[in-house]
Amino acid sequence: MVALALRTLRHRAGGSAASFLALLFGATVLMAFASMLDVAIAGDARGSARETLVLMATVVGGWGLMLVVLAVVSTLTLAVRQRAAETALLKSLGATPARLARAIVGEAAVLALLAGALAVVPGVLAGRGLLALLHSTDQVPEDIGYTFGPLAPVMGIGIVLVAAVLAALVTARRTTRGPVVESINDAETGRTRMSKKRMVAAGLFLALGVDLAVVTATVMRDEAEAAIATAGQADILASIGLALLAPVLVRRAVGLLAGPLRLAGVAGELAAAGLRRRTGQAAAVVTPIVLFTGIGIGTLYMQATENAAAKAAGTAAAAEQENVQTLNLVVIGMIVAFTALMVVNTLIAATAHRRREFGQQRLAGATPGQVLGAAAVEGTVLALVGLACGTVASLFTIMPFGSVRGGSVVPEGGPWIYLGMAAVAFALTLGTALGATRRALRTPAVVAVAAS
Amino acid sequence: MYEGTGEALRLEAVRKVYGDDANRVTALDGVSLALPAGSFTAVMGPSGSGKSTLLHCAAGLDRPDGGRVFVDGAELPGGSEAALTRFRRGRVGFVFQHFNLLPTLDVLQNVTLPLRLAGRRADRTRARAVLERVGLGDRLHHLPAELSGGQQQRVAIARALVTEPKVVFGDEPTGALDTRSARQVLGLLQEAVRVHGRTVVMVTHDPVAASYADAVLFLTDGRIVGHVARPTAEQIAERMTHLAEAAERSAFATEA
Repeated sequence: MVALALRTLRHRAGGSAASFLALLFGATVLMAFASMLDVAIAGDARGSARETLVLMATVVGGWGLMLVVLAVVSTLTLAVRQRAAETALLKSLGATPARLARAIVGEAAVLALLAGALAVVPGVLAGRGLLALLHSTDQVPEDIGYTFGPLAPVMGIGIVLVAAVLAALVTARRTTRGPVVESINDAETGRTRMSKKRMVAAGLFLALGVDLAVVTATVMRDEAEAAIATAGQADILASIGLALLAPVLVRRAVGLLAGPLRLAGVAGELAAAGLRRRTGQAAAVVTPIVLFTGIGIGTLYMQATENAAAKAAGTAAAAEQENVQTLNLVVIGMIVAFTALMVVNTLIAATAHRRREFGQQRLAGATPGQVLGAAAVEGTVLALVGLACGTVASLFTIMPFGSVRGGSVVPEGGPWIYLGMAAVAFALTLGTALGATRRALRTPAVVAVAAS
Repeated sequence: MYEGTGEALRLEAVRKVYGDDANRVTALDGVSLALPAGSFTAVMGPSGSGKSTLLHCAAGLDRPDGGRVFVDGAELPGGSEAALTRFRRGRVGFVFQHFNLLPTLDVLQNVTLPLRLAGRRADRTRARAVLERVGLGDRLHHLPAELSGGQQQRVAIARALVTEPKVVFGDEPTGALDTRSARQVLGLLQEAVRVHGRTVVMVTHDPVAASYADAVLFLTDGRIVGHVARPTAEQIAERMTHLAEAAERSAFATEA
């Protein structure tokens, strides 16, 4: 699957390929977990085994839908924006917004079906692995064997199809409105305004995050062990809310960092100018970084606090605790792995499209080193913004859970969890940005500017 | 070793070959030329004659496969792209058909960028003065997308001149412009030569544009096949017609 994915990216290293990969990985994860429903039904699982299997499938299904929608919105936005000039041309030739929207939705639906079909084999493999894990922790008896279908493929393909169409509708509305001349200008500068709806959605997710945090800290005070369910979701909701605000946050951050960026010389200036005028693309890259750091940091600290609390309470509940921990870590691990992949995926798509811009910088007198320098500064700013938002989002989980389960808003686990996650976020962002830029630099500058 | 005198650009037996063994195209077939400082030269030829390759090799944007290139007395270095970039800074400036301004930078930032990249002070006063000269003193903070094609090309000229290069290369600089804007751009290139002593080398297919130059070089199949000093547009057009016919005849002969 990785080989296929890489080949796709090589041929069409644009937003469409990135959307396809998001759908492919999304469908794989969704199918793997949805097949737990098939296992439960075919194996006639009872009691806690049935509960575990159903819970895994539904929790990941729900979050998967939301995350795949988000990932596809951001990659599809890139794809559509990269073709903004073409869209503007079609508009000037008389294509109606409705027809353009249909084209975008149609393409997304085809991508989703294709991704869903290709995800079956890796989905089966991942599902087998998941069941093996549940066997090994005795959460599901060994005599319940693996089954795939009919629910897994139906849910997997159904959810990515719904996600892709929803994402395409959001993207299409945003890009096909507005006068022709404005679209052509926007295609040049890549400027976007935050829509009111996006602000409302961000507010809604943040409010839900706050709600769950408050519920954790108050209602769950008496059922500290169950608090993991509410607290664990607070950071996901807050991450999504902050990710939706990314365009505004990137602009603010660039405003704040303008001074320090100037100290980084011409690389800093190029980076600042690029980020300021291309908040749309920057936001698409920041989104998965927020999700990755927010959910990752929140969950790891929650688990560390939970472990410490369980240990303090004695070893009686240890076996059950362990099961909860596996479940928690597997589910969240999947989500975090998905978002990490999205960081790489989105950055490659965003960078590949900038070949021409890099060519223009080189013709203006930039050495390859200076182009890489600007890309590094830009990547650092994006990682910083993402990490800052992710940190805030993780507090939605860490603080209420810590106060309920550990008696303090400061979690167990020490600073290393945070530093580790931050290091991974930076390594992913900078490594991908520099690798993709280096790749783009292989094209001679004169050729790069000629191919528009 | 050639010593820098009144020569701005010298090519000695420059060759450039594209493609692999199976499909080899000789774009430049041993081109030699010397252009004096303060000259304005147009390079013309049928499409596929090697005009753009000549410009890219002479400007240090591409490496020749054979021969030597000197700009302002210094030989084009071997080594990395970074070495070539440093060589170009301060020696050459470019004006392209499609402007190639950075879309995220405003007019003034675009013009000061080459200075900044070269690690020189972004002399805003000088950049402003150059922009005044090309008639854009009131557009300093516009983005390229907010300007007309002619205005963008004038920004590109200001950017090419701000480093005070020895040679300014133009690759079809009027190719994307209307007649009036093209005339303005050619007038500015002429002024750079006459008033400021720059050397301009311009590839074009337009006889009227070429008639602004002091001399025209004709290129066919990677070789220089003619030279006209103080040309008129009519002379050039006539010559081009002959070249095109000759090229067609030879292509026909090869096929038959």
